[in-house]
Amino acid sequence: MVIFFAFSSLNRSFIKGKVEKLVDEQLQATSGILKVNFSHLLEENYTPEDIFAQFSGEKNIYYMALLDGNRQILGWQSQFEGYLPLSKESLATERTWIINSPAGKIFNSFSSFSLPGGSVYFLYLGYSLSDLEEMMIRSRKNFYLVFGIIVAVGILFSVGLYQLQLHYLQKKRELEEEKKEKERYRSISALTSGVAHEIKNPLNSLALLFELLSKNAPAGTEEDISSGKEEIRKISRIIDQFSSSLRPVELTKEAFCLGDIISDVQGSLEKEAKERKVQIQFVQSHRIELLADKGLMRQAVYNLVKNALEACDGGGIFIRADQNKKRIRIVVQDTGQGMTNEEKERAFEPFFSRKKEGMGIGLYLVQKIVHAHEGRIDFVSEEGKGTTFTIEIPGG
Amino acid sequence: MLACLLPCVIVGASFGQESRHFYNVDSEKMIEGKIQEIKMEPRYKGTASFLVIKLEENGTRTVYNVEVSPVWFFDQDFHKGEDLTVIGSYYLSDGKTSNIIAREIRYRGSTLALRDKHGFPNWRGGQMKGKRQKRGKGKMGL
Repeated sequence: MVIFFAFSSLNRSFIKGKVEKLVDEQLQATSGILKVNFSHLLEENYTPEDIFAQFSGEKNIYYMALLDGNRQILGWQSQFEGYLPLSKESLATERTWIINSPAGKIFNSFSSFSLPGGSVYFLYLGYSLSDLEEMMIRSRKNFYLVFGIIVAVGILFSVGLYQLQLHYLQKKRELEEEKKEKERYRSISALTSGVAHEIKNPLNSLALLFELLSKNAPAGTEEDISSGKEEIRKISRIIDQFSSSLRPVELTKEAFCLGDIISDVQGSLEKEAKERKVQIQFVQSHRIELLADKGLMRQAVYNLVKNALEACDGGGIFIRADQNKKRIRIVVQDTGQGMTNEEKERAFEPFFSRKKEGMGIGLYLVQKIVHAHEGRIDFVSEEGKGTTFTIEIPGG
Repeated sequence: MLACLLPCVIVGASFGQESRHFYNVDSEKMIEGKIQEIKMEPRYKGTASFLVIKLEENGTRTVYNVEVSPVWFFDQDFHKGEDLTVIGSYYLSDGKTSNIIAREIRYRGSTLALRDKHGFPNWRGGQMKGKRQKRGKGKMGL
């Protein structure tokens, strides 16, 4: 931009100099031609008015005047009413000079010529190449226009580049975080798979042992053995749940009504809700059909409502479902204890929980399920007042 | 040839032709006076009629024909008896009639610029109204 400006300015100065030189040469040439013609006409006794009448059509000659040897004006003509910028100063010596006027730059010449008889006359001429002047003006306007465009484009380009850079940096940060998260996930997954495998083997053996024992159980021990077997099954379920929670989510999509799974979740937690004296309400704007993994979506809603229930001591849970163009939104709002700042930061972290029971993978699973559906999950929480989770997924 | 041209020369003046006049910066003067008459007259070949004001100078009581501008260029209302100040180029015609080609007119507190300092007419470039200026802020020519 700076280079363009500098180059154009120099170029324009150069052209301006050349133009002025050209006009000056034209002026000298025209003055010479006029003086020769005037000489002939004066010798033939033409009056100055008659002489000027012969040259009145020249558009580049703005004005001219004929003076005698004593610098007395014999005749003059001008394209502009009453305009002949002649003064004592300009009559002093033969010279050329430039006047700036509203009609543009006028190149002036005051010079003498002689007739063969010896009489001396002076010709005063005001000359301008109006087309060139217009060209210079247009060139200047074009220069400013082009410069303005370059500046505008430069600014837009810089802003665009800056935005791109910001976007790139943000994406890079997100990718790095995602990579870290995946690394962490891989480590945990490997660890848990190993641990689960190590536990499962002796657990299977224990289950077989209890099975054998139940067939040959001494009297009065059946109930204890049955309890033992139930506990083993519980441990096995926990291990299975633990392992599956860390596996990648694979969707099996089908069309279903969102209200159905929410009502189902509401029904399954009704008993616990009554015990905690918590009221669960569900509202939907209209029947919402979506294409998603029904089981996983139910799991996600269940985990959210279960969490809300466990956070409440009385009060209520408000579930809302609505649809906006191609996005479906599920809101689960509770009036529970809310989250601390640490809990907010680590809400979706696996194995993080302040609860006495549970593995702390509920919200982690919800997030996994939502992301697998190309959706997003957010929450707002205030300690002592409650928490609101919002899920948005494409569908409809 | 010179004998033919002699009648055209006015003794004591720099300008040869009585019927042809241009704005001469060397003969500028300021006249303050009262408007005696307002008329329209042709002044330049091939142009519209000019507004010409007869102005009686205060004190000397000399009457000047003040050439203002083409009639279409002016939107002021002049009235007989009103005060007017003119700055312009002076010339004598017929050996006795004083004339002014106005460059600037001060009237009712306004300054109206008609020509630039070299005498270039402000009305050139198309139909324009004479630009009214506040007192003290005259458009002093281009």
